[in-house]
Amino acid sequence: MNYTLSSLIFLPLLTALVVLLMPTRMVRGIKAVTLGGTLLQLVVAVWLYLGFDGAAMANGQTGYQFVEKLDWIGFSLGSLGRFQIEYFVGVDGVSISMVLLTGIVGVIGVISSWNITKNVKGYFSLYLLLMTSVMGCFLALDFFLFYLFFEFMLLPMYFLIGMWGGPKREYAALKFFIYTLIGSLFILIVMIGLYTSVIDPEATAQQMGLIGQHVPASLDLIRQVQQMLQQGTIAEADMVRTFSIPAMMEPSNFIPGSLLHVFSGVSLFDLPLRFVAFLLVLAGFLIKVPSVPVHTWLPDAHVEAPTPISVLLAAILLKVGGYGLIRIVYPVFPDAGAYFSTFVGGLGVLSIIYGALCALAMNDLKKLIAYSSVSHMGFVLLGLASLTNEGVNGAIYMMFSHGLISAMLFLVVGVIYDRAHDRMILNFRGLAKRMPAYTAFVVVAFFASLGLPGFSGFIAELLVLLGSFSAPEATGMLPRWMAIVAVIGLLLSAAYYLWALQRMFFGKYWIFPELRQKAIIHDLTKREYLMLVPLAVLAFVFGIFPHLLLDKTGMTVTGFTELVLRNGQEQLNILQAILHR
Amino acid sequence: MEKQAAQLTQTIDSILAGAGSLLPELLLALFFLLLVTLDLFKSKTVKRLLPWVTLTGLFSVLVLLVLDRHVAEVQFLNLLRSDGIARYAGILFSLTGIFTILLSLQNPKIEKRKQGEGRGEYYALILMLVLGLNLMAKSVNLLMVFLAIELVSIASYILTLTLKEEKRAVEAGLKYVLYGTLSAGVMLYGMSFFYGLTGSLDYTLVSFWRSLLDASPLMVTVAAILVFAGFLFKISAAPFHFWTPDVYQGAPMPIVALFSTGPKIAGIIVIMRFVAAFADPTIASAFSDVQLFLGIAALATLAVGNFTALWQRTPRRLMAFSSVSHAGFLLMALLAFGSDYTVSVFFYMTVLVFMNFGMFLFLQMAEEDWQVRTLEDFQGMGPRIPFAGVLALLFLLSLTGLPPLAGFMGKLLVFSNVWEAYTATGQPMLLALLVVGILLTGVALFYYIKIPYYLFLKRNQTDKNLVISLSNKLLLVFFALPLLVFFFKPDLLLHWIEKLLA
Repeated sequence: MNYTLSSLIFLPLLTALVVLLMPTRMVRGIKAVTLGGTLLQLVVAVWLYLGFDGAAMANGQTGYQFVEKLDWIGFSLGSLGRFQIEYFVGVDGVSISMVLLTGIVGVIGVISSWNITKNVKGYFSLYLLLMTSVMGCFLALDFFLFYLFFEFMLLPMYFLIGMWGGPKREYAALKFFIYTLIGSLFILIVMIGLYTSVIDPEATAQQMGLIGQHVPASLDLIRQVQQMLQQGTIAEADMVRTFSIPAMMEPSNFIPGSLLHVFSGVSLFDLPLRFVAFLLVLAGFLIKVPSVPVHTWLPDAHVEAPTPISVLLAAILLKVGGYGLIRIVYPVFPDAGAYFSTFVGGLGVLSIIYGALCALAMNDLKKLIAYSSVSHMGFVLLGLASLTNEGVNGAIYMMFSHGLISAMLFLVVGVIYDRAHDRMILNFRGLAKRMPAYTAFVVVAFFASLGLPGFSGFIAELLVLLGSFSAPEATGMLPRWMAIVAVIGLLLSAAYYLWALQRMFFGKYWIFPELRQKAIIHDLTKREYLMLVPLAVLAFVFGIFPHLLLDKTGMTVTGFTELVLRNGQEQLNILQAILHR
Repeated sequence: MEKQAAQLTQTIDSILAGAGSLLPELLLALFFLLLVTLDLFKSKTVKRLLPWVTLTGLFSVLVLLVLDRHVAEVQFLNLLRSDGIARYAGILFSLTGIFTILLSLQNPKIEKRKQGEGRGEYYALILMLVLGLNLMAKSVNLLMVFLAIELVSIASYILTLTLKEEKRAVEAGLKYVLYGTLSAGVMLYGMSFFYGLTGSLDYTLVSFWRSLLDASPLMVTVAAILVFAGFLFKISAAPFHFWTPDVYQGAPMPIVALFSTGPKIAGIIVIMRFVAAFADPTIASAFSDVQLFLGIAALATLAVGNFTALWQRTPRRLMAFSSVSHAGFLLMALLAFGSDYTVSVFFYMTVLVFMNFGMFLFLQMAEEDWQVRTLEDFQGMGPRIPFAGVLALLFLLSLTGLPPLAGFMGKLLVFSNVWEAYTATGQPMLLALLVVGILLTGVALFYYIKIPYYLFLKRNQTDKNLVISLSNKLLLVFFALPLLVFFFKPDLLLHWIEKLLA
């Protein structure tokens, strides 16, 4: 077996152990080790990206590559038969982009943390724990494993915001923790429902003695087991229930009579139980995305978090929400995904417009950028809800590009905050005169974010808009007005960025009198160049050569949309037939 | 005359046949007597040996139970049943007893008191309490249950009063006695109803419940509620939980830790045996009122425990309501009739022992060594006690039920059972319990995180490191390790429990 993915996940954890064993006063050493660990992770991530075969699915192989599958926990619970939790990781086109992004931003975050002085050891060990859990989240193909990493992410983040953050850090950290925990509890309910309803056909065949232990089952045998399951000829004790996400994506793996089976006919509040489950997981991931109206933790967390943590939060952690939607919510509940597409798309459009309007009203530069994140993540929802190839590719592209650009934006805010200990837009004017290089990077970041052609943000928005505009004909999802309203969001984002630029950077140099004593205004340092230049170059490269990413995601997305549309329509017909009976 | 003699020999025979199964209890009683006798000596060496004698007793019972080769079920005179449940419970009780003594040895208030005063009775009573717990887990007879519960209660009343020079201890002891005797009376009253209705006291039999089918349903429900009042009191479930915060505030910390695990586990097992007949759906449907009452009690316990904990200002009261909420979880688990929940419940209770003792050890250190009385006193202490602080975080997160800790596994297993039972029966009560139970975890985080919040997020001026004794450090690690191991490899424990129960 190939251990590339495990090394990606556990490399930061090992580094964290090394950091914990180092003496506290070796501050530079701790930083260097952390940087080394994340750099190594980046190298592995790039190697994985280069080694990932984007066309593999076309050659009739399964979608996951570099798969590692090990038995982890297996036990039988009396009448419930066997339970099986696996250490099951793999990459497909969706995760490969997120892995690459995590690798890049991880290194930038460490460089940005260089001026942390308080409790350095604690900070970097938590940072590395966070990297492990994020990476694990993007690679896990077992729901339990995914949930483990998903929940574990909260803990380092809580302390990173709460111990190294700004004046209201305790409140912001707690709000972040509670909000996202509630979200993951929704996910937990559905996870329990799913794993008690789904079997692993291969392991069941082994349990029934059709094949020996540890012998892989042929495709025909799997079909046979699935048929037997649906006919009800498998004894309860032989069923091996599983957390495997690919198994959950296959409707014929659901045990007849289980509540989440399409034929169960169980409904709650006049909705089939499957729809309720969909709404619960959707809500869980929407909090993470975040989408209006559950976004309110984000501005608080961003404002209070130290710069590097803001960077991580915006660039990677938010992506877990969108990634969860693509990995779990839509493939497992395609029927509900098709049924609620207008609702999800509507939330996307609402986030785009509302986020942009809020950003327009902000005086704090960091809050402005936080709300711009809300607005941009709306595009992810819109693209996904369209269920067209363009739309879903656009959603993934948006996540990747927003990861690069938002990292840059928060770094840029961090620069001015370092200099003046303030980031109110109205307290500064004409900064371009004193900080020309800085202003240049601000302009690049702002323009990349508002979707100027030539930067990655443009490709993402273009794809999402194409997808959502063609959705009514192509897939029958989303009303046409949504794409049109989303375009207004683009205009608004141009407005708030350009307005901020004009107020803060152009005109005669002036800063608020009370800030003058403490503020030391100078241009970018070498360390800041080291962070901003790679990000700007990458945003540019991925804006000019979109195929660098689309070649990797394309086949996976085609498979995804086909699966969701085909299964979705079939199951939706069944559900509606049952409901209207 | 002849007949009577024959009956007598038969009885003696069955006593002799069953006596072997009571070896752990006999051993406990023996050590209890030994301790009481040793306490009469004035010698300081003997006094110093008392806790170690107790430990020896408990440890030998533990070894006896673990290594026992008897797998068959032995019944003692229709009173006590030694089966897998009782055996595993006995292991848990011995563990809680041992842990209580380990904590007591670390407690300066108990150890450094004026030489000899009350130390003998303190350790002897812990043995008596463990003996009572063992009997509770074994009883299959209403009268035996009552006696066992009273044995536990009497030991508990006195143990609460260990530090009788403190006012809050006296208050707690008095409240405990008053509530306790009241609930015992109510329970006995209910039992008399059952006896009147069935003419039998063996409540674990399906026939006991079948004979109740003819009785007036109202009478049965009333009797059941009265009996449950006593059981719920022991596991500190709502609405019989009012004693909990006061007793938790007044009793010495090791005893609080014992109360939060031992009697709760025993009470849950008694209820488990009581409702075992409901696994048969035809019987369960006939007594839907009793189930409804239990369901409401579980819901109320969950809600009361979790929400009241939000307003607590001292760690002791916080943990009191936390233990109420865990009682709610366990009650919920017992309602998943039809799914085989015994293994999950035992897993949950095992994990509960480790996390509660770990947390109470931390609180004991905080109270005795660092003079922490309220949650605010923890302010900024985290960086001064990084090691203990991180372990306390582990215990609290496990109590909340977050991965990667065993508390999460326990909850996951319980919720799976409830989901399975809901799939089988479609009872809306189960779905409500499931959803409420899961969502209250969010509320639970809110109060559990308060301690780490003060420890790490709030800042304090002083930065001097506090010294923690090596024995305390080792104990903390000892309680924390299983929480990680049982998360990553729960099958180790599950397989073992399954083997014992089979």
